[in-house]
Amino acid sequence: MTDNNLNGGTMAVDINSLGKSNDTDYRMSKIKSRIAWTIAIIFALMQLVLTLTPFFFMIMNSFRKQFDMLQQGVFHLPDPWYFNNYVEVVTHGFFGYFFRSVLVVAISLVLMLIISSFAAYPLARMRFKLNPFIYATIVAMMSVPMHVTLIPIFKLTTTVGFYDSLKALIGPYVAFALPMSVFILTAFMKTIPREIEESAEIDGCNRYQNFFMMILPLSKSGLSTLAIYNGVSMWNEFAFANTLLISPEHKTLPLALGQFKGEHSLDIPIIMAVLTLSVLPMITLFIVFQDKLVKGMMAGAVKG
Amino acid sequence: MDKSNNMGLAQAKAKSTAKAATVFLLPALLLIAIFIVYPVIDTFAISGYKWNGISAGRVFIGLDNWKALLKDAMFWKSFQHNLIVMVFSILIQIPLGMLLATFLDAGGKKFNIFKVIWFLPYLMSSVAIAFLFNYALATNGGIISSLATLINGKRTTIDLLGTAPNALYTVIGVMAWQFTPFYMVYFIAGYGNIDTTIYEAAVIDGATRGQYIRMIAIPLLGPIFKTACTMSLIGSLKYFDMIWNMTQGGPSGSTELMATYMYKLSFQQFNMGYGSCVAAGMFILITAIALLFNKVFKVKEEY
Amino acid sequence: MSKKLLATLFATVFTVTTIAGCGGGSSAPATTEPEPAATESTESADTTEATDTTEAAETTETADATEATDTASGKQTDGKNLPTLTTEPMTITLWDIATEDPGKSTQEAAVQRFMADYPNITVNQVHQQNDNYKQQLVVAMSSGQAPNMYIHWGGGPMAEYYKSGFVNDITDMYAKYDHPDFIDAAVAQSTYDGKMLAIPFGGLSGCDVFYNKTIFADLGLEVPTTIDELEEVCAKLKENGITPFALANASKWTGSMYYMYLVARHSGNAEFDAAYTQENGGSFTSEAFIYAAEKIQDWVKKGYFPDGVNSLTADDNQDRALLYDGSAAMMLHGSWQVSGIRADSEEWYNENVGVFRFPEDAEAKAKGVPQDVEIGTAIGNGFSFNCFKEDGSVDQDMLDACYVLATQYYNDDTYNQTQVANGTIPSIKGFEQGIDDPCNKVVVDVFFNASNVQLWYDQYLPASVTEVHKNCMTELFGLEKTPEEIGQEQDEAMQKALAEE
Repeated sequence: MTDNNLNGGTMAVDINSLGKSNDTDYRMSKIKSRIAWTIAIIFALMQLVLTLTPFFFMIMNSFRKQFDMLQQGVFHLPDPWYFNNYVEVVTHGFFGYFFRSVLVVAISLVLMLIISSFAAYPLARMRFKLNPFIYATIVAMMSVPMHVTLIPIFKLTTTVGFYDSLKALIGPYVAFALPMSVFILTAFMKTIPREIEESAEIDGCNRYQNFFMMILPLSKSGLSTLAIYNGVSMWNEFAFANTLLISPEHKTLPLALGQFKGEHSLDIPIIMAVLTLSVLPMITLFIVFQDKLVKGMMAGAVKG
Repeated sequence: MDKSNNMGLAQAKAKSTAKAATVFLLPALLLIAIFIVYPVIDTFAISGYKWNGISAGRVFIGLDNWKALLKDAMFWKSFQHNLIVMVFSILIQIPLGMLLATFLDAGGKKFNIFKVIWFLPYLMSSVAIAFLFNYALATNGGIISSLATLINGKRTTIDLLGTAPNALYTVIGVMAWQFTPFYMVYFIAGYGNIDTTIYEAAVIDGATRGQYIRMIAIPLLGPIFKTACTMSLIGSLKYFDMIWNMTQGGPSGSTELMATYMYKLSFQQFNMGYGSCVAAGMFILITAIALLFNKVFKVKEEY
Repeated sequence: MSKKLLATLFATVFTVTTIAGCGGGSSAPATTEPEPAATESTESADTTEATDTTEAAETTETADATEATDTASGKQTDGKNLPTLTTEPMTITLWDIATEDPGKSTQEAAVQRFMADYPNITVNQVHQQNDNYKQQLVVAMSSGQAPNMYIHWGGGPMAEYYKSGFVNDITDMYAKYDHPDFIDAAVAQSTYDGKMLAIPFGGLSGCDVFYNKTIFADLGLEVPTTIDELEEVCAKLKENGITPFALANASKWTGSMYYMYLVARHSGNAEFDAAYTQENGGSFTSEAFIYAAEKIQDWVKKGYFPDGVNSLTADDNQDRALLYDGSAAMMLHGSWQVSGIRADSEEWYNENVGVFRFPEDAEAKAKGVPQDVEIGTAIGNGFSFNCFKEDGSVDQDMLDACYVLATQYYNDDTYNQTQVANGTIPSIKGFEQGIDDPCNKVVVDVFFNASNVQLWYDQYLPASVTEVHKNCMTELFGLEKTPEEIGQEQDEAMQKALAEE
């Protein structure tokens, strides 16, 4: 797809670097680069359509009655527009579900980021006997299918009395995000040049100072990727929430769907409305976050 | 290991390293032990029993479940499906994510709108994705069949989800649609992690953006790249969510994965003992493949 | 293991269910009000009419009959003969799947009425999501946190819960105390191994053909009464560019309904009963199964089902969509579709939707094969009770409370009226009267005139066989395997399940 862009770009460079008649070559390369960019943009736009269409229809279908949707087809604009789905969703305690989800995800995410960056640092940067073993164990723990943990975690949760409270989710959410996060962060920390740390050591920093002053700021881009990755999966997490929470006043957002879904009945447009409302804050966060992400990286890099 | 002339100093250093490592690793290892290692041990223990999952009595049958697993055609078929999903996921999602990231990295801030929209699929829940794709791919009025009809000039149906080999590849396509955006963001972060001074130095040396990406950035991204592959590998070997929402393993088991098979046995067919055996087998297979992959593609690492 | 279903007993208890005579005109209560007035006069006749009852079914039915006679007052809440409930504080955990209205408010109201009458008892009513319900139960049961009272669908899982010690045997209580006069099929489906294990409360569901009246009228089609006529209708529809059947077979149990009915019409279910036990030459490759499978494949080839039938899923309402947009004219489905379609559009429903009974096999009928075996569920949902003390003995106080709640608050007048208003027919005698909705009327008539109600295969068969059966349905409609092949596959699975018992 955008491969053309890449090749085009480099090709232009190669010709340029031959350094004959600089002027024509420059113009040639510029044209080639333009062509490459045009192709790239065309593919980019195609990708845009591909990613936007389902999303668009998720939103459109949330403004329809189920009957109209089924009769006119799913890929059809609302006719007539029907706003009552959102009224239904909001009057069925949407905001309660929403804020509980925010709370759980925020706490779990912060804890997870702190703990995983702690763990990744020695794995990426320190030499000790158990390092390869622990690293391998963590990779192995990534391969655990979550469903085998349902019963043990349920037992544990009821034993410590966390059953049916938001506290119950934090442990499993953090623990399940850890192996993957430690794994990724270790890789990210390994790309940080060793010299940075060494120079800090010469300045008299110990390991702990090193970690907080140097490594952590420089891992910001890795951390933000993890925040996105785990944030989304925690936000959409269903199985643990469904098993560990039972009363409506404790349930999180993914469980809100259940109210509109029975044994033989399913109101798809209302479900689409719930999903639309749940995804909007994520998009907003991403727009804000991805900008901050770049800035944070730059700051870190400049400092480094 | 480095050979140090001064053994005392080296030992002291090793000791303090071990201590620091313990401090840093402890919280993570503790949580993992409680929430993951313990259930895994439990799973292995249960795999030795004939047990419906609920009754107080369970019958110890030694390795019978394991013997059955080795001969279980359905399990190996599911494993094969997982391998296909894995290969295609790695081959589609990662290169595509990389390309998108490269495009965005090259384009800079003015392409932010692309970044946001391209990222949308990853934000959507599997429930919505499964529903919309079931309709988009439907033989009756779905987007694909409508397009085919349009192109062909007469009514044409392309049955993507209802026939055996198609369904698996269709689901792989939908998975790629969902997960490519994550790898895109992941590689954007990877690019971001490269010290800007390296880019500046490259520019001073007369390199263009393209050269920089090909000659400098991509090699530097080695470990990041390998990590992405490992993630995709493990993720697709234990995949469950969207398959469950879209096909539940059908038609006639052609999209059955190890995880869906395990789930059905354990929670729907009152066969927890054997289900746990499948889970344990799955765990062994995935771990082995992941570690093997990491061994084969060992990127030179410096500590 | 689910395969442990005691095949013979199970088979007989379920399929031998006899409803002959208890429905229809003979048992009509004097009053035309939709009150579940038990009918004293016909009750004894009912038991004797039961043509072919096993010991198991017979015991409960006799108990049922005598009991019903005692409680002929009709109003369930006026039950005089009930256990005295404790005055000590007590908490009952109840699991249902009523996550959405109208079921949610109906069922919550029943619990509220109970708690108002017994302020010392707290009912902790938990609405679980249907999708993961079986998993939730497994998790809770294996962790010693099983609810005291929980919903299930009868069939294989109920037997499994019972055998694992999570179900109180309420046979004696049911014989001793008042309870609604449940139809015999419901009692039979609540019974396993001769023991009453559940109280129905979800209402019955039949399986019938929904059709588009407007299309039928436009094309001058008559409601078919025989399979031959049905095929003529299909041919005519096809000629006019309309797909005869709206079937979404990615869900598999949807296609299974066609298979089940064709088998039932061709052999009156005798062959299925035989295949279930695999004894006396019983097999899924016997004549009726081959007939059903061949018929279906013939229909597939003629285009009577939508293109890509295996890719459409009933979970996403894709079958209903085919009906709504006029591209298909008939749909064989569970009777819950009445309330489903009505909820989508009352107007469209009134204008277009009709129901007819699955047509008869004229040839088989001529040979004397009964044509009144129907497919469906008589209990819909049942409550089982899990009231045990720590030492494993029965917690009678709690069990009494659960029994009163399930029989006198669920299933009381208020509850039943709401159910009827929402389009659900309680599994209680007398409710065949006073149904206003013309479609539901057909559904009820079919159900109450059946000689035998066969539970959906996918709930009836052992869980491991269910999986195979469902895959066979995919292969059948996908023309991937021959009728003989799918028969053999199901035989194999059945034999394996029987062997593992």
